[in-house]
This record gives sequence, C-alpha cells and structure tokens, in this order.
Amino acid sequence: MQFFNLNENTFLITWNQNLDSNLTNLLTSYRNMIMSICGDDIQDCVQSIKSLLVIINNNGSSIKEIIEKIKMIDPKKINIKNKKIKVWKIPVCYDLEFAPDIKAVSDLNNISIQDLIEIHLSKTYDVLSMGFLPGFMYLGKTDNRIHCERKVKPSLKIKKGSIGLALNQTCIYPTESPGGWNIIGITPIELFNLQSNSPCFSKPGDKIQFVEISKSEYVSSLKNPDKPDFIEL
Amino acid sequence: MIKVISKGLYTTIQDKGRFGYRNIGVPSSGYMDSESAETANLIINNPKDNPLIEATLIGPTLEFKKSAVICITGGEFSPTLNDIKISSYSAIEVNKGDILKINNSSIGSRCYISIQGTIISDTILGSKSFYHQITNSNIIEDGDIFLFKKNIRTPEQKYTHKKFELNKTINVFRGPEFKCLSNESIKTLFNEEFSIGINNRMAYNLLEKIQDGVNSIISSGVIPGTVQLTPSGNIIILHRDSQTTGGYPRILQLNEKSLNDLAQLRTGDNIRFKLLN
Repeated sequence: MQFFNLNENTFLITWNQNLDSNLTNLLTSYRNMIMSICGDDIQDCVQSIKSLLVIINNNGSSIKEIIEKIKMIDPKKINIKNKKIKVWKIPVCYDLEFAPDIKAVSDLNNISIQDLIEIHLSKTYDVLSMGFLPGFMYLGKTDNRIHCERKVKPSLKIKKGSIGLALNQTCIYPTESPGGWNIIGITPIELFNLQSNSPCFSKPGDKIQFVEISKSEYVSSLKNPDKPDFIEL
Repeated sequence: MIKVISKGLYTTIQDKGRFGYRNIGVPSSGYMDSESAETANLIINNPKDNPLIEATLIGPTLEFKKSAVICITGGEFSPTLNDIKISSYSAIEVNKGDILKINNSSIGSRCYISIQGTIISDTILGSKSFYHQITNSNIIEDGDIFLFKKNIRTPEQKYTHKKFELNKTINVFRGPEFKCLSNESIKTLFNEEFSIGINNRMAYNLLEKIQDGVNSIISSGVIPGTVQLTPSGNIIILHRDSQTTGGYPRILQLNEKSLNDLAQLRTGDNIRFKLLN
C-alpha cells in the first residue's frame, strides 16, 4: 500500500499485487472502510483496478490527518471473505443484429460464435472501475480464448446498452457513444438513471453475471426496462 | 427572465461542480476559472458558489425582461449595455428591456456573468453545471429563456478583489508517474515553453512533444489539472470536464490557481511549467 499526494486535497493509494478478484475485493473493503471512518471529510473516493483516488473536502481534517487515519486501519479488519458482494444479473442478447463485431472476434480466436457466447457467459466479472462515460463499467478479467485488441478504427456510434470486448476486459456502454470496443451483444437494462440519487445500480467492487436472452425478449424488455436482479455472495 | 438573443461561442451555466459521483464515472465540471466566477458572485453579495453564466471567447447577447443586478468578471470581453460600454468587476444595474452584449475577448478566454439572486435551472446530482451526458442542455442556445429569482441584499461591505491578469506560468506538483521521465525530458519540461493547441472544458493539448513517450499505465484515477503524457510524447492537461480515470502516465499535477490561470489561456498561447515542492 503506497500513498502519493497529487495536490492539496487529493491523494492516491496504490497496491502492487497482481490483478485478481482478491485485489478487487481488498480495494472495495478499503474503500468502504475509508468512507465509514472518514465520513464527511471525503468528497470522492474513486476505485480503479489497482488504486483508490481520494479527494477530501477542505472543511475538516487535513490530508495528513486523513492519511494517518487510513494507515491505522488494521489489515486484519479488512476481511475480504466475509463481506457481502452483490452479483448483478445482466440480460444480454447476442443476436447478430446487435453484435456487429462478434464474428470477427470469433474468427480471430478460431472459435464459433456459439463458443464465444458460452465463454463470455461462463465467468462472473468484477466491476474493476467506472469511467470514460458516466456509468461505463470496466469488467474483468475475460477468458483468454476471447481476447481481442481494441478496434483500430473506433465506431462512431455504439448503441446504448452494447456489450464490448477488448484485451482481457468486457464492458457495457450506458449511453450511445463513439468507442473502440468490439461489440458482441446488447442489454435492455437501464444503466444510468439520473432521476435517482444513486444513478447507477452498480459500483466498482460489485460483480456482473451475464444471462443470455433472445431478440424478442430484448425487444419486449426495452419497452418495460426492469431493474436488474442481484444475489449476494 | 432573460432571453438569449445570440448564444456566443460556448456559453454554459456553471456552479462549483458535481461532487461525490466520480466513482461511477461522473466528471465534476463546474466553472473553469473558479476565482473569477466566485468574485462575480461575491461582488453582488451572492453566495460565492452560486450558478452563473460562463462565456468562452465570443460572448452571448442577452435581453433582460425584468430588472436585475449583475456583475461581469474574468477576461476582457468589452461588455455593453444598450451599446454603452460598462465596466467589469462592479455591480451593474440592469433595467427591464436592456440588452447586455458580451463581445469578443481581447484578454483572457472566459468571462462570468453573475445575476443577483438565483438562476432557475435543473439541479442534477447536486449541481446545475452543464455537462452533455448529465444535463439536458449542453450549451445555451439562441432563443433560450432563463428565469431568475431576485434576492436583493444590501451590501454589507464592499468586496475587494484581485485585479484580473493573465498568468502563463503554470505551477505544478510531481505526478505519480513523474519518475518515469528521463532527465532529458525533465529538463525540457521545465526549461522550454509549450504552446497550447486544441482545448476545451475537458482538456488542453500542448503542441510540443517531449522525447520519451512512456508506456501506458493500468487505468487509474485522474482529476482536473492532471497532466498526462501519451505514448507518442504528447502532453494533455485535463480540465474541469475531464473523465474520471485514464491510462496515460500522470507526470504532473496543476494546483487550483494554475488550473484557473490555464482556463483563461487560448490556442497559441505559450506556457511554462514551474515545479512546486
């Protein structure tokens, strides 16, 4: 655990372990702990793959005092196994109409489209971080058998709800946007709802399980978007 | 109410910004030059972080359908009221039917127009700051109408402020990946001038490259004022609307004052970096 001050009110905490689910769970536990012990002193705490970026409010404790508090956290109290983790079930339609790049990625990896779908469905993914767009989720890691580079020429218009693949990650586009990920499916779930004070159902540290739906199920749930179901591990 | 006769180049409503949502990818936004914006509010006894109008390079023309007290701060945009020159950095009384024209900027890039009372506009995730994925409007358009609620307060004391001036020395701290730079690059960074290329509320690109393009990092948090170095050696300074995470090495970090100073510079201006301890 290393600390680095960015400016007068922002610091980074970085971990050097290799990326796996334990590291993601560790970061999530630390984030929860920091939010609960520092409370109103924290303006934002941004979880990424191997780091937390902490922005403090300028009306309470100093950056030094807050770092001291965080250093006092007993690592034994960061129990990554007993914590309840939400696993969100996200329906995905892999119909070719909504999966413009699925054939290219399957061909690249010498597997059938059906294999690619099964491999994509076979893992539960960690929400590693969010960014790029409000509510955009970086999910990992994917199976090596569906590895692919980002597209050399980004698409100008990726549909809202599209599921992407790039390197060892998969993602969900919360809104229509340009983008460089290979698109292999689409979800009817509303990912970013500004009417709510917590506009995104998920946050870094949660998990995502994709569930296949047909084209007709996709079309009908678009009209009546449900909130995604979750289970707690 | 206020009617927008002509919108200018890039005119938005901004307050201090949107806080507490960066973890789900929502940028903070907010006024680009916080010092000028807050001064505009304080001069007319508004709370300092009240929402106000931010104009960029070419200002808007506004028709007041009711009387108001306003204040203009920031860059020199030669403002006029019914074609008569008015001064910046002072409270101006506007009558019903008056036309306020904010012209082209001769010094600085951004000016602020505060209105005594409150501009009525949607608050989304705790802020009225425009941002295209969050608020309905991206920029103010011709014909838009703004309502405002007057809230006249007698000035208790005259607010004194610093005079507006451009500052092309950009103060920076070392960024988390500063150590990736070669001695040669560090010398270039602090001894040479850099000129500003394409820029907007999201980021300022610099035209000169530095020698070692360093490898990308594992995506990590960034904030307004983070200076990124791309693998091809380009330097990007993130500003208020920047995204929340990024994969380019973070070589430097601006302080708040220099973030404000940068917001007043424009394409072609030359800057120098100065390292703070």
